[in-house]
Amino acid sequence: MKLVSMLLVAALLLAGGTLLLASPGQEPTGPVELIQWTHEDPNRTPLEEKWIAEFQQQNPNVTVTRETSPSGKIQEKVLTAFAAMKGPDIFNMEAEDEWQYIVGERVAPVDLDAIGYSSYKALQNDYLPVTFDGALYEGKIYGLPLEITNWCIYLNDKYYREVGLDPARDYPKTWEQMITVAEKLTLREGEVIKRRGFDFRYPYYLSFWVPMANQLGGKVLSADGKSAAVNSSAWIKLLQYMADWGPNGRNLGSPTYTNARKTFNRDDGSVAMCISGLYQYDRIKAENEAFLPEVSIVPYPRFKDAVNKNGSAVYGHYYMVNASSSPAAQLWAWKLTMYFSSHVEEMLDQIGLTIPSKKLLETAVYKNKKFADVFIEDMATAKFVMTHEKGPQIQDVLKEMVEGVMLSNVAPAEAARRGQEKIDDILRQ
Amino acid sequence: MLVLIGRLKKNLRLIVSIIVLILFAVAILVPIVFMLISSVKHPLDVFEFPFRWIPRRLHFYNYLQAIAGNDQKYYFIRNTFNSLFMAGSVMCLNVLMASAAGYGLTKFRFKGRQVVFVLILATMMIPFETIMIPLLMLTIRLRIQDSYMGLIFPIMLTAFAVFLMRQSILTVPDDYIDSARIDGAGELRIFFSIIFPSVRPTAVTLAILVFREAWDNLIWPLIVVQSEKYKTLPLYIIRFLDEKYTNEAALMAVAVLATIPMFVLFLAFSRYFIGEGILTGAKG
Amino acid sequence: MAFQRRQYWGWIFVLPAVLFFALFSYFPIINSFIASFHAKDILSLKAPKFIGFQNYIYIFTSKDFLNSIKATLYFAVGCFIPLVSVSLFMATIVVSLRRFPKVQNVFKMIYYSPAIVSGVVSATIWLLIFDPRGLANQWLNFLANNPTPVDFKWLALPAMARLSTIIIYFWKYVGYFVIIYFAGLVSIPTSLYEVAEIDGASAWKKFWRITVPLLKPTIEFVLIVAFIQCIRTFSIQYVFVQSGSPREPINVVSLNIYTTAMQYHSLGRSTAMSVSLFCFILIFTIVQLRIYRSERVSYV
Repeated sequence: MKLVSMLLVAALLLAGGTLLLASPGQEPTGPVELIQWTHEDPNRTPLEEKWIAEFQQQNPNVTVTRETSPSGKIQEKVLTAFAAMKGPDIFNMEAEDEWQYIVGERVAPVDLDAIGYSSYKALQNDYLPVTFDGALYEGKIYGLPLEITNWCIYLNDKYYREVGLDPARDYPKTWEQMITVAEKLTLREGEVIKRRGFDFRYPYYLSFWVPMANQLGGKVLSADGKSAAVNSSAWIKLLQYMADWGPNGRNLGSPTYTNARKTFNRDDGSVAMCISGLYQYDRIKAENEAFLPEVSIVPYPRFKDAVNKNGSAVYGHYYMVNASSSPAAQLWAWKLTMYFSSHVEEMLDQIGLTIPSKKLLETAVYKNKKFADVFIEDMATAKFVMTHEKGPQIQDVLKEMVEGVMLSNVAPAEAARRGQEKIDDILRQ
Repeated sequence: MLVLIGRLKKNLRLIVSIIVLILFAVAILVPIVFMLISSVKHPLDVFEFPFRWIPRRLHFYNYLQAIAGNDQKYYFIRNTFNSLFMAGSVMCLNVLMASAAGYGLTKFRFKGRQVVFVLILATMMIPFETIMIPLLMLTIRLRIQDSYMGLIFPIMLTAFAVFLMRQSILTVPDDYIDSARIDGAGELRIFFSIIFPSVRPTAVTLAILVFREAWDNLIWPLIVVQSEKYKTLPLYIIRFLDEKYTNEAALMAVAVLATIPMFVLFLAFSRYFIGEGILTGAKG
Repeated sequence: MAFQRRQYWGWIFVLPAVLFFALFSYFPIINSFIASFHAKDILSLKAPKFIGFQNYIYIFTSKDFLNSIKATLYFAVGCFIPLVSVSLFMATIVVSLRRFPKVQNVFKMIYYSPAIVSGVVSATIWLLIFDPRGLANQWLNFLANNPTPVDFKWLALPAMARLSTIIIYFWKYVGYFVIIYFAGLVSIPTSLYEVAEIDGASAWKKFWRITVPLLKPTIEFVLIVAFIQCIRTFSIQYVFVQSGSPREPINVVSLNIYTTAMQYHSLGRSTAMSVSLFCFILIFTIVQLRIYRSERVSYV
C-alpha cells in the first residue's frame, strides 16, 4: 500500500516536473545565441564579422559566435559534432558534402517567413537558375548561397611571353590545345617537372573532371541512378587523355605535385596556369598584388568534338541551419544567413565570391569586376555538381580511376571497368 | 703462428663489425639530420639539386612560422601544452592504476582474483582500431567528446601495464608488508610508502613507455577532438601539412620542435629506454 | 576476522582498473559486435536497423575491403620479415662488441633514436625525402649513374608507395627490436660460445646451433609483436593519403575503418571491419602460441 502510493506520488511529480521544465522553446524576442562554423577565408572573415556586429546591433537579443576551420577539416568536425548532437546552428561546406545532411534530415528547410519570400519558386526566381540546385531536395530548398562558383583557367602572362606566346590569343580553347600550350610552358629537369604549364585541380574530381566527361557525352550514373555508367567510350577517351597528360605520357603534371592553385599566387616559377574560381583573383590581390597585372582569366576549355558544350561544374557553399536547434534559434539563424547572403555586391567586390542573384548582374560592381563576365558566361552552360548520398565515396572511385591511369599504368579500358564495378558496389550498400 | 692468425682473424672481424655498425648508424641518422638541416634552410632550398648538407643560407624564420602557424594563430603553443598535459596525465594515471591493480592482484587473496586477472589480460588481444569508433560514440554519450577528459580517460590504462607492475610487485617480499601491518600502518600507507618505492625502476620504465606512446598517439586525438583548442601536436602537424600554403622548411621546423621533448627525455633517461627494463618486452 | 576484512582491500585496489576495462574495453568491443549487425549512419537520427550478417557479406564481397586485406598483408609481411631479421643480425654484431660496453650503448641509442621521433613526424620527414625533388631520387640516381634524373615515384606508383611505407616503418622500429634482441642475446652465457669455438664451430654454426635455440622465447615474442604491430599500422598511411598518395595500394584495414566511419558515416560497415580485424589477430595469436608451446628448449 505504502509502496503503491509512493510510486503514484513519484509519477505525478515526474509528470508535473516534465511539463514545467519543457518550456515551449525560446520566445522569438528572448535572448538567442547562435554558433556559426565556417571554413577559413582571410578575405571573408573580416566582412562576416562586420555583418555580425551590424546584425547584433539591429537585433540586440541575438549573440553570434563564429569559428573557422581549415577547409579540409571542417567536414569531420561538423560530422562528429552532429553525431554528438552538438552541431552548430549555422555551418557551410561544399554542396557535395552538405548533401548528406539534407538527406539525413539534420538541416532545416529555408524558413520562407523569416526571410520574406512567399514560396521556394519565388526565392529561386531572384537568382540564376542553377543557384539553388545544390540544396534543392524534394521540392524544398535547404540552404542560402554563400558562394556559387565555377572554375576557369588562370594564366600567368609573364610565362606566356617568355616562351613567345601571346596570352590574349594563344591560350588553349580546347583540351587538345591545352596539351600543346602547356607543353610549351613546361620546364623540366630530366623527368622531374620544374614548372608545370598547367595542372588539374586534383582532389575535386566531381567538379572539374566529370564535366570533361559530360562534354564527351559521358555520365556518372545511369538514368535511373541504380548503376554506374562510367564504363563507356566517353570515359575511356577521357581516361586516355589523363594518361597522356601524366608521368607515363607526356609528363605534363601529376596529382603528386603540390596543387597548382596553391602556388600559382606566389608567381614562383612552379606553374604557369591553374584552374580556379573568381575568388582566387582577390586572393592574389591580397597576397601578391604586384603579380595581379600579369594575371588573365580565360574560359574552361571544351573538347574539340564535344557533344555538350558545358563549362566546369558549378558548385557552391550554402549556409545551412541545424534542424535540432531550438525554433527561435532557427528563425534567427535564417535571418542572419539571409543578411550575409544579401550582401552580393560586397561579396563580389571584396572577396570575389559570386552569389548570382539577378540584382547583382545589373550592378556597377558586377560590370566593373574584372573577369566576372568570363565566369558568368561559363555558368550559363554549366550544371551543378553531382549531389548524391554516396557522393564522397563515388568521388574516391573517380580519384582511383584517374590515379590508376596516370600513376600506375592501368589501361583506360581496365580503369573504366574497375570504376564501374566499384561504383556499383557502393550503390548496393 | 696459428695464434697470430687467430688474433688477426679476430681483429678483422672486429673491424668489419664496426664498419657495418657505422654504416647502419649513418643510414638510420640520415633522415634525422635531414630534418635538422632542412629546418634552418630557406624554403626554396629544401629541394635544391644537388642537396647541400651545409645550407647555402640560414633561415631561422622557419621556426617563427612553425610556432605561428600558417594562419598566424599560434595554435602550436596550445597544442604542445595539450600534448604535454595529455601524455603526462595518462602516464601518471596509468602507473598509479596499474600499480594498484598489480598490488591488489598479488598481495591479497579474494574471491575471483584469478578471473579478474585473466579478464584484464584478455583485453590485450583487443586492438585499439576495433574499439575506437564505439569508444568515440561512448565519449559522445558521456559528453566528454572534444575535451581533455575525452582525450585522457579512454586511454589511461593498458593491460600490459597491469601485467608489468604485477610481475614487479610479485618480487616484493611479503615480510615487509606484514611487518608494516603489524606496526599499524593503513593499507593506503603501505601502498604508497612500501610498494611504490620497491618497484620504482619498473614504474619509471613503464612511465616512460606510456608517455612516449601517448605523445605519439595520432589516431585517438584525431577521432575524439575537433576543436583546435584541444588538439595535440600530431594533429597540429597534420593541419600544417594540410594548409593551402605548405612551406616545407617550416614543416621541418615544426618536426624539430615536436621532437625536442621526447629527445630530452631520451637523453635524460636513456638507460630506461635501452636498458633492461625492455627485457620484459614492451608494447611498441 | 581482520584477515578477511583486509582481503577486501584487494578489491579496492583492483577496482579502478576493473572499472576502466569494463567501461573502455569490454563495453566498446561488445558494442562493436552488436553494431556490426546493424545498419546505422552516424549522421542520421534514425534508430539502427538490424540486418544480420549483411555488413559482413558486403565487406567480404566488395573489392574495397578485400583490397584493404591485401594492402595490409603486403605491408605486414613485407615489413615484418626485414624488421625481425635485420634487427637480429645487427643485434648480434652489437653484442659481439662485448669488450666495449660504452660503444655498445652509443650504437643502441643511435639505432633506437627513430622511435623517439613520433609517427606523424617520421612520415612528414620521409614525405620530403621521397618527394620527386627529394633526397631519395637524388641519391638513387647518383648511385645508378643515370645521365638524366629519373623519378622513381616513391609516392605515386602503387608498388613504390607500399615500399615507401615499409621503409619508414622499418626505419622507425628496427632499433627497438635490436634492443629487445640485445637483451635476450646478452643472457646467453659466453662460455657456450667459447666451448663451441674450441670445437672449431664456424660463426654460422654457432648462430644456428646456440643462439637461435636459446633465443627462442625472445624470437617468438618478437615475431608475434612485430607482426601484430604491422597489421595495425595507421599513421604513416594516413599521412601519405592526406598528402596526395593514391589510397588503394596502402588502404590498410585500420585506415579503411577510419575512413568508413569518419568520411562515409557508416557505423555498421566500419564495426564489421574492425571485428574482422579483431578475429584475425585473435586467431593468429592463438595459433602462434599453440605452435610455440610445442617447442621448448633450455640450455641446462
